[in-house]
Order: sequence, then C-alpha cells, then structure tokens
Amino acid sequence: MNPFRVALAVARKDLRSEWRTREMVPALAQFVVLALLIGNFGFQIDSRNALTIAPGILWMALVFAGLVAFGRTFAAEREQASLDAMLMTPASPVAIFAGKALAASVLLVACEAVLLPALTLFFGTPLSGEVVAAVLLATVGMAALGVMFAAIVARVRARELLLPLLTLPLWIPFIVAGGQAVQSAMGLPGSYQEAIGLLIDFDILFVVLTSLAARFVLDE
Amino acid sequence: MNRAERWAAAAVALMLVAGAVIFLYAPTDALQGPVQRIFYLHVSAAIAAYGCFAVVLLGGIVYLRNESLVADRCARAGALVGVVLTTVTLVMGMLWAKPIWGTFWTWDARLTSTLVLWIIYAGYLLVRRLAEPGRQAARIGAVVGIFGFVDVPVVHFSVTWWRTQHPGPIIVNDALPAQMLATFLLTMACTLILAAVMVWMRYRIETLMDEKQHIAEPVKVVTAREPEPVP
Repeated sequence: MNPFRVALAVARKDLRSEWRTREMVPALAQFVVLALLIGNFGFQIDSRNALTIAPGILWMALVFAGLVAFGRTFAAEREQASLDAMLMTPASPVAIFAGKALAASVLLVACEAVLLPALTLFFGTPLSGEVVAAVLLATVGMAALGVMFAAIVARVRARELLLPLLTLPLWIPFIVAGGQAVQSAMGLPGSYQEAIGLLIDFDILFVVLTSLAARFVLDE
Repeated sequence: MNRAERWAAAAVALMLVAGAVIFLYAPTDALQGPVQRIFYLHVSAAIAAYGCFAVVLLGGIVYLRNESLVADRCARAGALVGVVLTTVTLVMGMLWAKPIWGTFWTWDARLTSTLVLWIIYAGYLLVRRLAEPGRQAARIGAVVGIFGFVDVPVVHFSVTWWRTQHPGPIIVNDALPAQMLATFLLTMACTLILAAVMVWMRYRIETLMDEKQHIAEPVKVVTAREPEPVP
C-alpha cells in the first residue's frame, strides 16, 4: 500500500466528514474573532500601539484555536471506535498519522484565513505575504506535534486537561521564532530571515520526530 | 536500619557536610557577597536534574525497544526526582536573582528553558497518573519523556538566539578560584549522590506499586516452531 495514498485518503475522509457536518471551521472562526474582541478590550488597542500588541494576540488566538482543533482530531474516532478498525488495515500507522495531521492542519489554515484578515481589519496591521508565510510555516510543526499529543491523550482520562499541558511547552520554539518573524514582518526590529530559517529547522526536526514516534503512539 | 535507610542517611549527612563547606570554607564573593553561595547548590541541583531527565530519556528509549518494566520504573523515578531538583534550581535561582538582578524573574534563555523543562516533566508526572497504568501509561510516558528531552535544548537555543542575560558557564572557563571550585565540586558530588539515592528509593517504591497493581513483566510468548517437512 502506497503510504502517500493512504495519508491522502485519511485526510480526505476527515475533511469530507468536516465538510458534511461543518462543525469545526465555523466554531474556530468564531473563536478567533472572539479572541480578537477580548484582545481589544484587554489592551485598549488604538492605532499607536496596535503594531506592538497585534502579533501577541495573533499567536494567542492561533495557539488556543490549534488546541481546540487538534483536540477534536480523534474525537470522531473515539466516539465511533473506528481508529482500531483503521489500524487493523494493512495501512501503516505513520501514514494514518500523517493523514490526520494533514487534515487537522487544513482546518487550522482555514481558521488562519479568517484570523489574519480579521486582524488587519480590526487592528490595521499590515497583511503581507511574509506574515502569512511565517504563520503557515509554524502551522506545519504545530500540527505535527498537536496531532501526536492528541493521539496520545485520546485514550487517557481528562484529555482536555492534558492536551494543552503537553502540547504548549513543545510549541514554544514555534511561538518564539514565529512571533519574531511576524513582529519583524510587521515592521518591529528583528531579523525576518533568521526567524524563518529557524521555523523551517524546527518544522523539519519535529515532523521527523513525530513520524518516528507515530508508530508507538497509534499502534496499540 | 536497612540498606536503603543507611544510604539515605549517608546522602543526607553528605549534604550537611556540603552545606558546612559552602558556609564555612568557601570564600565570600567580592562583588555579590554571601548571596553568591547560592551558586553551589543551584548549579549542582540543575546538573543533577539533567542527569535525572537523561534517565527518563534512556528509560523511555529502552522501554519502546523491549517493553522492559525496569526501564519504565527508572524513567518514572527519574522524572519525579528531576522535577524536585528543577524546583530547587528555580527557587534558588530566583532567590539569587532578586538581590543581584533586582527581579525574581526575567525571560532569559536559561530561565525560560528551565521553566519549560519543569512544565514538561510535571506534565509527564500528571500523564502517568491519569493514564491507565501498565502498557499504555508506559508508552505514553516514554514518548513524552523523549520529546521533552529534545525540546529543552531547542527552547534554549531559540531563546538564546533572541536574548540572554544569565551568567555564562564560569566553571568550564576556568574563572573560579580554587577554593570555590573545590566547594562546587564537592557540592555537586554530594548532590549527585543524593539524587541517585532518591531515584533508587523511588524505583523501589514504583516496584512495590506495580506489584500492588499486578503489573508484571510481559509474558514472553514462545511459539512452537513448525516441524521440518520430512523429505
């Protein structure tokens, strides 16, 4: 079985079920808009301080939207007990994992497609290709780690409690580098090139590591 | 007094000796004054904590390879002792930072990565408690332990690249007077012994808890070999 085709099939299945129910994306979109609202009233944002505060709000909203999105990755599998059935097929667990991660990151990208324009609309920050590139690059690694820990906690009690606890510390490198990249793309001091290079390094590192670990996480 | 109690008593006595040496033998720092004496235990506890987390990493790798319960218990023991030692490191560091830097906390590379270290392994302990004991918890723990160990240098590097103000490594740079170096080495040796004894005692506790929960080594399934076809 070609692992790439398996991964694509799994991703397509997840996205199709999302398309039919239309649960996650509208909820996530509302969630990030609400986060911007809270940011606005929490900080008293105006045109003078928007540039320094907006990157922080962007990452806050993105990280918590990501936790919600990845926390739901295995919800359907758990409710229908279909993960065991999937694992019983000759498809490799790594391919199944890659498919789940792919689908989850597509959902997060859909949510970013709402978040970034909304940020520009409400706070007047520039929406450039550089900002989009930084956010998309961070999404890759965050999705790999997020889906891996979602798979880990899927079988544990109090999983809603544990997922942020395990995932957030491992996301910190992405937030450090991604935060720096977005800040410099919005005109604050700092090297954009270096930050993007670092994001790519972290993406490679964690995508490789999570693929190696996927076998132990899913195979039960 | 059994063997474990004798070792524990010896380790505590050694720590008291180290404390006496820190306060009576080591010279007072010219610039920082007596506050500098925190350094000996602060750095020793940090090194011992790294050692404990290395045990968690190795235990995790060995467990994933051959499901050895011994490796898993070592990992559990190492994580608990490591979290305690990291707490000591953080608290002592904050006590030092207040008079020297003027603030308890700053988002420096070492401080950030140590805090992340603490959060990751505190999370490890929570996962171990919440997961179904046995194979599931051990596997999850192994993966979390390995990722935690990889994450710490990454966090450290990414924040260093950003900004740092923690004092650099003075021990390897030969910048320490002989008396201070001797005090530091003694404290470090004593702390490492204490950590090893604590890990060992915790290992025994984990063994007893496993026995209580009837978690035993996986039974090796020996399959009968197919009889050779007779030609």
